[in-house]
Amino acid sequence: MGYFERALLAAVVIGAGAGFVGALVVVRRRTFFAQALTHGTYPGAVAAAALGVSVPAGAAVASVALVAVMAGIARVRRQGAQVAAGIVLTGGFAAGALLQALIPGLPVRAESLLVGSILTVSDGDILLAASVAVVAVICVALFGTRIAFSTFDPHGFRAAGFREWPVELLVLGLTAASVVSSLPAVGAILAIALIAAPAAAARLVVTSFRGLLFAAPVIGAAAGVLGVLASRGLAIAAGPAIALAATAFFLLSLGISKLRALPLKRVAIPVETAEDARIT
Amino acid sequence: MTVPPVLRLRGAAFTYPGGAGVSGLQLDISPGEAVALIGPNGAGKSTLLKGILGLVPKTAGTIELGGARGAAPAPIGRIGSAHAASGMIAFLPQSAELDPDFPISLEQVVMQGRYRGLGLFRWPGRADGAAVRHALETVGLAELARRPFGELSGGQRQRGLLARALASEPALLLLDEPFNGLDQANRDALVDTIRTLKTRGVAVLVSTHDLELARLVCDTVVLVNGTQLASGPVDEVLTLGNVQECFEGLEVELDEHTLVVPGHEGH
Repeated sequence: MGYFERALLAAVVIGAGAGFVGALVVVRRRTFFAQALTHGTYPGAVAAAALGVSVPAGAAVASVALVAVMAGIARVRRQGAQVAAGIVLTGGFAAGALLQALIPGLPVRAESLLVGSILTVSDGDILLAASVAVVAVICVALFGTRIAFSTFDPHGFRAAGFREWPVELLVLGLTAASVVSSLPAVGAILAIALIAAPAAAARLVVTSFRGLLFAAPVIGAAAGVLGVLASRGLAIAAGPAIALAATAFFLLSLGISKLRALPLKRVAIPVETAEDARIT
Repeated sequence: MTVPPVLRLRGAAFTYPGGAGVSGLQLDISPGEAVALIGPNGAGKSTLLKGILGLVPKTAGTIELGGARGAAPAPIGRIGSAHAASGMIAFLPQSAELDPDFPISLEQVVMQGRYRGLGLFRWPGRADGAAVRHALETVGLAELARRPFGELSGGQRQRGLLARALASEPALLLLDEPFNGLDQANRDALVDTIRTLKTRGVAVLVSTHDLELARLVCDTVVLVNGTQLASGPVDEVLTLGNVQECFEGLEVELDEHTLVVPGHEGH
């Protein structure tokens, strides 16, 4: 397998896996959390590169610490969680940049940690991403209805006698695993594009959770492949090309959903007056 | 009364870690009985309901659940009450507390009422599907089963959540301000449903501002405002003096058929 075929395979595996986990992230409104996680893993990746160990391994260690912190933060008020995620985001990024400046002769270029280098991914990187995707699919097959219940109605979920923290921890864990396995392809800065954009695009055109879990990975894989092809055809960097392809899919979905909402094709929905719908 | 109560509170108090709460609760609810929980905003009505569910810590007194299925009431603890009560209590939250953008159909929402009875690795079976359909028919929404929940009107969402509560086949149903923002048609549908449940032997505890509604479907009224002020049969408790005391001097009108608390009927 040549480097280009390998890059295409990596794009499909990483794109699909990130898209699938992204569906959970988007419906649970944890996108900003995931964004903080991507930047927070940056110092771990730099440290791993300096020590000569696997970059995903270093990022994973950093993310385990961050998941523990964020799982705690997520139980606090929503406002507090957002602020803390913002601090983790900028703090992590700054720590990574500082670390990179302090360590001379780093064997990995800063650019590849930040925006990825899918043309040089290893078999191990692909295997890791595939494993994460498979684990995510198994978890959702087993616990998907519970995840849906707790996301849709956290109070009702607890009132029914379920605990919320295992669901929160599971989704955060999958998110962190997905971020770490996406780093080789799209780096710390662009990883969020593969997680959020395909799911957000799918969310605009499908109406069921199950449909979302199918559509988001397909869009993610397509964005990955398109990005790699564009990278070769137009001689541009692959990571940004993949991120832009994912963004393009989002804009396309946005256009489709806007067209659908035109009066001619609007579905008849029994809307009562605003006063009826008001529940305070 | 020979039938043991489904719920019994004796001097119970439920308090949030921050200090807000409700205390002095004395309450028995029998199978087929409906109790109205009445008080102004911030009186602790939701706190009491969530306390029964084990979501707000009990800080005094006793709470006993049981009786409806032949078992004697059993005391339950602070931490484990939500689990001890599982399958027995259903809760209708205020619609404002859930995410209307989540992609889920009405029948999937109603099926959530069955999860507690399912093990972790068991999928819903035929009996669960039948219970969901039956619950949707009871609230009159069977034809909208596949409609995305977010596309339903406020009243339909409320009835859908009630169907979810019914699908769990509870002995005790807790309703938190179920009539807020409902139009007359949805209100009537909800009243009918509560009456149907009573005939099936379900005990109902409903928090509401709506004094007229308490008259319509409830046997007993409990007035609360931080602490329990009065309780008993509707006609004895819903007196001008009691209601005025409960609503702390807000102007209260009271006539033969309707009771209106200005400024509270549509908060």
